[in-house]
Amino acid sequence: MVRSTTVGIIANPASARDIRRLVAQGGSLTTHDKVNLLHRVLAGLGAVGVDRVLSMADGSGIMSGLLRGVGRPSNASWPELTFVDQPITRTEADTSTATGHMVEAGVGAIVVLGGDGTNRVVAAHAGAVPLVSISTGTNNAFPQASEATVAGVAAGLVATHRDCRTAGTYRAKTLEVVSGDRIERALVDVAITDVDGVGSGAVWDSSTLRELYLSFAEADAIGLSAIGGHLRPVARRHPEGLAIRLGEPARYTVHPPIGPGLLSSTSVHTLSSLVAGRTVEARAASGVVAVDGERLFRFGIDRRPRITLRHDGPVVVDVAATLRFAAEERLLSETAEAAEPAARSSSSSTGDAKQPPNSPDEKGNHCEATQSARALHRDGQDPAVRVPDPAGVPR
Amino acid sequence: MVRIRQYESRILQEYHADKTPAWDIGAGLIPGEMHLSAGQEPAAVGVCAHLRQGDAITAPHRPHHFALAHGVDMQAMTAEIYGRTTGLCKGKGGHMHLFDPDNHFSCSGIIAQGYPVACGQALAMKRRGTDNVTIAVAGEGAANQGAFHESLNLAALWNLPVVFVIEDNDWAISVPRADSTANTSNADRAAGYGIPGVRVENNDVEAVYEAAGAAIDRARAGEGPSLLEVHTLRLWGHFEGDAQAYRTDLETVDERDPLPRYAAALTASGDLTEAQMAEIAAAANAEVEAAIQFAVNSPIPAPEDALLHVFA
Repeated sequence: MVRSTTVGIIANPASARDIRRLVAQGGSLTTHDKVNLLHRVLAGLGAVGVDRVLSMADGSGIMSGLLRGVGRPSNASWPELTFVDQPITRTEADTSTATGHMVEAGVGAIVVLGGDGTNRVVAAHAGAVPLVSISTGTNNAFPQASEATVAGVAAGLVATHRDCRTAGTYRAKTLEVVSGDRIERALVDVAITDVDGVGSGAVWDSSTLRELYLSFAEADAIGLSAIGGHLRPVARRHPEGLAIRLGEPARYTVHPPIGPGLLSSTSVHTLSSLVAGRTVEARAASGVVAVDGERLFRFGIDRRPRITLRHDGPVVVDVAATLRFAAEERLLSETAEAAEPAARSSSSSTGDAKQPPNSPDEKGNHCEATQSARALHRDGQDPAVRVPDPAGVPR
Repeated sequence: MVRIRQYESRILQEYHADKTPAWDIGAGLIPGEMHLSAGQEPAAVGVCAHLRQGDAITAPHRPHHFALAHGVDMQAMTAEIYGRTTGLCKGKGGHMHLFDPDNHFSCSGIIAQGYPVACGQALAMKRRGTDNVTIAVAGEGAANQGAFHESLNLAALWNLPVVFVIEDNDWAISVPRADSTANTSNADRAAGYGIPGVRVENNDVEAVYEAAGAAIDRARAGEGPSLLEVHTLRLWGHFEGDAQAYRTDLETVDERDPLPRYAAALTASGDLTEAQMAEIAAAANAEVEAAIQFAVNSPIPAPEDALLHVFA
């Protein structure tokens, strides 16, 4: 039984402002654009009966931008908007803290606005809460393209309907990388580079790559995983991953899009499969580890990274599959009264016409969850949540 | 960064040493207001490490870190701050008006004033056919001035070799950005003029170094202007004597100081030893003390020279 109709929102205000606007053709998605995307998400969530949203607090304009939309007649269908009561550090700790609070609050799904890096941090703390990822990063292999309104509808359906969750979600793979005491989890790629230091984080020069480990590799991806995608594609739900040694002597030369507007010839020495649960050790004696395209730490021979493909990654919402299921089940459509006889006649041959999704006695779970969430708010029993005064909110 | 911090720390001491009464900014060895840059060293060092002979900087009212990182002579600069005849401007400019033609360095107490000047310098570089660049520095509050927008527009239109650097220290004197600015990232504002805008978080000198390098390389290659916003930290008051009663983040300021954090990271990675750190500090200390002695021992301008060098 799904009990919650609260949906979480993590919108990274810092995504897509990195150095790839200078060294490549990184886009200029502004804070206002992100708020606009969230307006669409909220409309989608409200349309399918989600009655409360718990969003990450930030000091960079997302929270204040959302609050400016509260109370406008055009937004009357929005769920109640609340924010996690959390310290604002303007670091990735804000994302991990907010995600933890959302899990504790029992959200039915989390909508993530960011790139692979943001999703990586959310996934590390989300447990079994389904994630709906909307791309607002520079290079994004993990989030799949979906319009924000549609993504909001999908998130709401997964949160409110157990059958939608069953039909529309899957467990993603991850790559665990261990170096000394440090443990990181990648959603898409782990790269061993010989760049000198962490610097601005991003990886955009494929000539610095020595080894690449991929949980999946799609030919139409952008970023490091495209290197594998053009040589040996690996589907998101395929049980194996891919390990690549780069450099000379090269058996292949591939020309993948490493960044927006940036294609570079890359020499590949060998390819091999990564089997889940079987740990492999990096060959390089020293270098910098990049996780999902972000350089995170240096290592020496005493902390040579060990990489393991795992099948226990985040629960991911397949937006298209969720909406297909909703259409088949007629969760977002109903038969007009004037057409009832014809519809009934038709349904005798094509299956039963479905009840509207908000019907309290259809599957029971949605109505119950709504009441549960309202009671939670009314009683003020959720210490992780605050309903801010728009006039006094930090921005 | 150690050199800059040592300089600012000693100027802080010298400024307050004999300022009696404390509210009289004209009193004491160092006259006038004083805006120190402690905490903002990563911005200056990360940018200026890429500059070479002929490159220019226009800095704002808080200029010492960029001046020192760009190679302005410490003794002449200190003498100017002390109002002595051996100073960069013969003691008539003070700390907010440091002009060094040899190093193409200037600053101004007028907010955002350096931006249009930077465009002019960059235009000259372009017309001369050099690959020099101009760095225009201002705070996040300055980005609400018309001069900021006019400069970005012209620089984009004329494809000028200029890098606009915004030091976002969260406070425009006493005003947080949220109370003055609808747009929460100045890196986003660059998009309105069709130029790249990048924001570097966490006051990270290595990240600034990489981003600034990419921006400066672009400008040298003729690919035009860009904007680099650095989220930095004003470790002390807006000016010396500022009680900062308005400041809501004081409790966390010390723990965000970039110098001990970076020193710890360098020693942990094995790139820096305690002995090397001590050497760096000692060298900085000696240089700063010599500069202060030079200033203190230099003559004060004669009253009858007050009108000399003032009007062109």
